[in-house]
Amino acid sequence: MIKNLCKYRCLVKRLAVSDFNVRYKNSVLGFFWSLLDPLLMLMVLYIIFVDVYPSTQKNYHLFLLLGIVLWDFFTKGTSMGLSSIINKPGLVRQVYIPREILIFSSSITALMMAVLELGVFGAFMASSGLIPTSTIIYFPFIFLNIFILVFGTSLALGALNTYYRDIQYIWAVILQAGFFASGIFIDFSTYQGEFKNLLLLNPMARIILISRESLLYNTVVSSSDLIYCFASSIVMLVIGYLIFINLEPGFAEEV
Amino acid sequence: MDIIEAKNIWKNYKIPHEKKNTLFEALYGLLDSKMGYTSFTALQDINFTVKKGEWLGVIGHNGSGKSTLLKIIANTIRPTKGKITVNGKITSFLELGIGFQPDLTAKENIKIYGAIMGLSDSEVDNRIDSILEFGGLTRFKDTKTKNFSSGMIVRLAFSTAVQIEPEILLLDEVLAVGDLDFQRKSFEIFEGYREMDKTVVYVSHDLSTVQRFCDKVLLLSHGEQIGIGEPSEMIQLYQSIVSSTPSQCPL
Repeated sequence: MIKNLCKYRCLVKRLAVSDFNVRYKNSVLGFFWSLLDPLLMLMVLYIIFVDVYPSTQKNYHLFLLLGIVLWDFFTKGTSMGLSSIINKPGLVRQVYIPREILIFSSSITALMMAVLELGVFGAFMASSGLIPTSTIIYFPFIFLNIFILVFGTSLALGALNTYYRDIQYIWAVILQAGFFASGIFIDFSTYQGEFKNLLLLNPMARIILISRESLLYNTVVSSSDLIYCFASSIVMLVIGYLIFINLEPGFAEEV
Repeated sequence: MDIIEAKNIWKNYKIPHEKKNTLFEALYGLLDSKMGYTSFTALQDINFTVKKGEWLGVIGHNGSGKSTLLKIIANTIRPTKGKITVNGKITSFLELGIGFQPDLTAKENIKIYGAIMGLSDSEVDNRIDSILEFGGLTRFKDTKTKNFSSGMIVRLAFSTAVQIEPEILLLDEVLAVGDLDFQRKSFEIFEGYREMDKTVVYVSHDLSTVQRFCDKVLLLSHGEQIGIGEPSEMIQLYQSIVSSTPSQCPL
């Protein structure tokens, strides 16, 4: 699989860029929507949590925005991966390309969008006068970790959805639940509810938690957290890969 | 050297009585044994080889398995049994297209196709003008292909496929929708391919072009290999089969 991805890197690039462009074609604001999207969500959550429940958190908007941006990466990446096979029937039925390319390029598109959103977060951080310290070095690894998780999950979802279109509806519900369970507005470092450990089994919850430690709280990320996140992404990648290679031979007949 | 080698190729399709497209239906189907499959054999025991520079024609009535065979050679679908070996890069022209996406413009589609065939960006850019000119579509280079007519799509797909230097070309009914002028240009390309020793698998109902270009012909009927050999012999055999079986759809 890795060999194929290297061999077809030109194609991956073209597909990722064209998907990115197609997404915002026919819209007046174009790709600015990818920046507005998290900001509008920030506005909603900020109003709810600061106005309705006055919070003691300093820089609560940064706390929220980082969670939103990272969760958005996961949501957009897996949703695009889910439909990446069935949305390109021509490239499945009429020519042969290794089909993991379609999934990989959708994850790359999501990565491009996430980098833009992170830029917005960076601008907010700078305007709040918060300068990250040396603990920022963890963040690129955490970010890469999300990418692996997105790609692994997409391999499974994209392949399964080609056979069973229900997956897209089920996944929409799971993402909805994940939005509340991943700690976008919950601070797991102080939260002491009885489900805390259960909720932290979700790799995205832990990823968001340690990203905040690394960027906002200048905390050294514990290696057990890092290992847990990395291991769960790799496990997801392996599961996704196994599902994918078993279902791939029939794609052209099912798409 | 054998460019394409097919050994005992079988292809079965499962045709569900009720198409199960959702998980619920699939679960329900497990419980209800009446919702089964009918097996349909599209190809049985197909054997042939194609040498470098050879043109293999594939003929047979509708539903005889010609397109299924081409898809198996292209590797978009896999045989149920048997083995196919292909030595070289395939340019496939299946279901009247080469994988264009309706939301992209003609130019963008050509670029993606170039990347699929392993060309670098500059190699593709050099060819875009001649591809569009050959298809007579220069004016429409920035039009989305969803706004193209079926004839325009086929012309664009075919000119892209032939201009990006294929090694092995799989052609399924390419000339059916082109006008006379386009057919004439295509024949010139075909003549060129014969001189350049390109390997081609050509599926068509137009027996005169099969006779004109192919070195050998594979005759299929209901998924079975009736014969493989000299074009004139196979075409005659095909015609005798057609005239001996009564028409299945009385008018």
